[in-house]
Amino acid sequence: MPLACSQLTVAYGRRIALQDFGLALAPGEVRGLIGPNGSGKSTALQALAGLVRPQAGAVTIGGEPVAALGRRALARRLAYLPQQPAAPDGMTVEQLVRQGRFAHVGLFRSFGRHDRAVVDWALESTGLADFADRSLRELSGGERQRAWISAAIAQEATILLLDEPTSFLDIGYQVEVLDLVHRLSQERGVTIVMSIHDINQAMAVCDRISLLEKGRPVFDGLPADLAASGLVEQVFKVRGSFVPLASDALPHFDVELARRRTGVSAA
Amino acid sequence: MSTAVVETRPRRNPVPLLVSCGLLAVGAVLLAVFLGVVAIAPAEIVAVLTGKGSGEARSIILDIRLPRIVTGVLAGIHFAIAGLLLQAITRNPLADPSVMGVSQGATLGVTLFLLFSVYLNDPGSTARVTALPLEWLPAVGMLGGLLAGAFIYLLAFRRDLGPLRVTLCGVAVGSILHALAIGLIAGWGSARIDVLLEWLAGSLYARSWDHALFLAPFTVAGLLALYPLRRALDLLQFDPAVARSFGLSYRLHFSLALLLACGLAASAVGVVGPIVFVGLIVPHLARTVTRGRPALVLPAAIALGAIVVTLADLVGRLAGRADEIPIGVVTAICGAPVLIALLRRVP
Repeated sequence: MPLACSQLTVAYGRRIALQDFGLALAPGEVRGLIGPNGSGKSTALQALAGLVRPQAGAVTIGGEPVAALGRRALARRLAYLPQQPAAPDGMTVEQLVRQGRFAHVGLFRSFGRHDRAVVDWALESTGLADFADRSLRELSGGERQRAWISAAIAQEATILLLDEPTSFLDIGYQVEVLDLVHRLSQERGVTIVMSIHDINQAMAVCDRISLLEKGRPVFDGLPADLAASGLVEQVFKVRGSFVPLASDALPHFDVELARRRTGVSAA
Repeated sequence: MSTAVVETRPRRNPVPLLVSCGLLAVGAVLLAVFLGVVAIAPAEIVAVLTGKGSGEARSIILDIRLPRIVTGVLAGIHFAIAGLLLQAITRNPLADPSVMGVSQGATLGVTLFLLFSVYLNDPGSTARVTALPLEWLPAVGMLGGLLAGAFIYLLAFRRDLGPLRVTLCGVAVGSILHALAIGLIAGWGSARIDVLLEWLAGSLYARSWDHALFLAPFTVAGLLALYPLRRALDLLQFDPAVARSFGLSYRLHFSLALLLACGLAASAVGVVGPIVFVGLIVPHLARTVTRGRPALVLPAAIALGAIVVTLADLVGRLAGRADEIPIGVVTAICGAPVLIALLRRVP
């Protein structure tokens, strides 16, 4: 089991951000974390990445407790990408992606042939090979997000944690990121946990889905079972329903909007 | 899809830039050796440098100019590296040694020392400057700077060490120390105030080989420590969570970089006083010169630190004639416009 946790509880001061969170991932699994804003998705990812210390429970990687691994040893096995990360001024795409190799080269070893090949592969598979020398600041939001994903996959970790990798991207880039997630899990056996807001995208891309409400897990299972459970409408407090599209496809979640548009347009 | 123009820029060779930085530094030092208030013929100076020459020329070049220049070069390197380190780890482009309270701590240390040492040495005397144990100033200044740095580190450490915490604690403690020093000077001044004022302005006046030798071990140790720290420094410029998930032991390397910066800054401040702006501006100059080649910023900053201090001191020596202008005044006057010009270039 590449990544697992049970009874995980994280508190910031008195506020409990995550309570009794459990997860057990199969190799190559893509897991979606969904839930309203502030439901503990980011906290769960940070705890899984060993960045916040849980008050209770433990995270294990391949059976080993995360807390016992050094930062570099952990980074070789697990890569984590926060929401909207910031890079130092003037840094180029390639310089960012090279940071992903730190887990392997450390403070002293020089960059070898394999390290350079991995950096090229990471740039290539995010479609950034032509952007290598561009400053991150010159890039569009979607390109920048891909550069960060490129740096994360240059770590060659078998576990990838992505915090809302598609937020703030237009639909074209969203699809590109989700395609990349799918390819990484299928072709390289990478185990992926990502938080995501679009429920239909989550159902389409993820093997299993965890639903959080106010820091507590309320669902852990297959996308089809989530659709049947009625929990989405209840947790997100929306009126909506899963609409069947075709007999072999997952149903599509549609919400009812309170205001129905009339033909009158504003001046 | 974006239709970007495919530009496969060839890897730029780093050697020409580094060589020209090195040559400039050597040029600045030579200029400072050959020019001075006392005019000595270039032939005479060459003679002195090759081990000959008259007694007077030898004493001016070997005992006055050279030690002063070497001390300045070393101090310049210290300020430049300290500024670069502090700007990187606090992720604040305006950081310099005063951010960690090093300058203020050193000032307070030197002030206290000058006030009390008189009574320790010679109770009941009216303080005469000549009686002051000036040879202790570098060590005392350095100790004051290090203590201030350590205190700020502990304050920030207790509340989860991070760029913003350290900066805020540094600014707060720094202003208190500065106020204490100024208060002591104002309330207790006497002949000692001359020594203190000269030191406060940042000066290379009358710096001897003893000063250069005091600094040299710290310079060597600091430069050696930079090599293993260089990749950690790249990562420390990221958000702590990002740096840690790239595999960096954040607290450890943040602390090491901070220790190195404080050690270099405090030793230099102890010897030459707080030379304003060098630690702030040289890293920006280095980034401008190296444009987009972060691996070269550090060597460029080292060379530029030496160049800036050497030239600024030369200007101070020549401009004031007999009453020379302290280098701290020169760097402050020239540094401010340079800083504004550099900041305008940054979009």
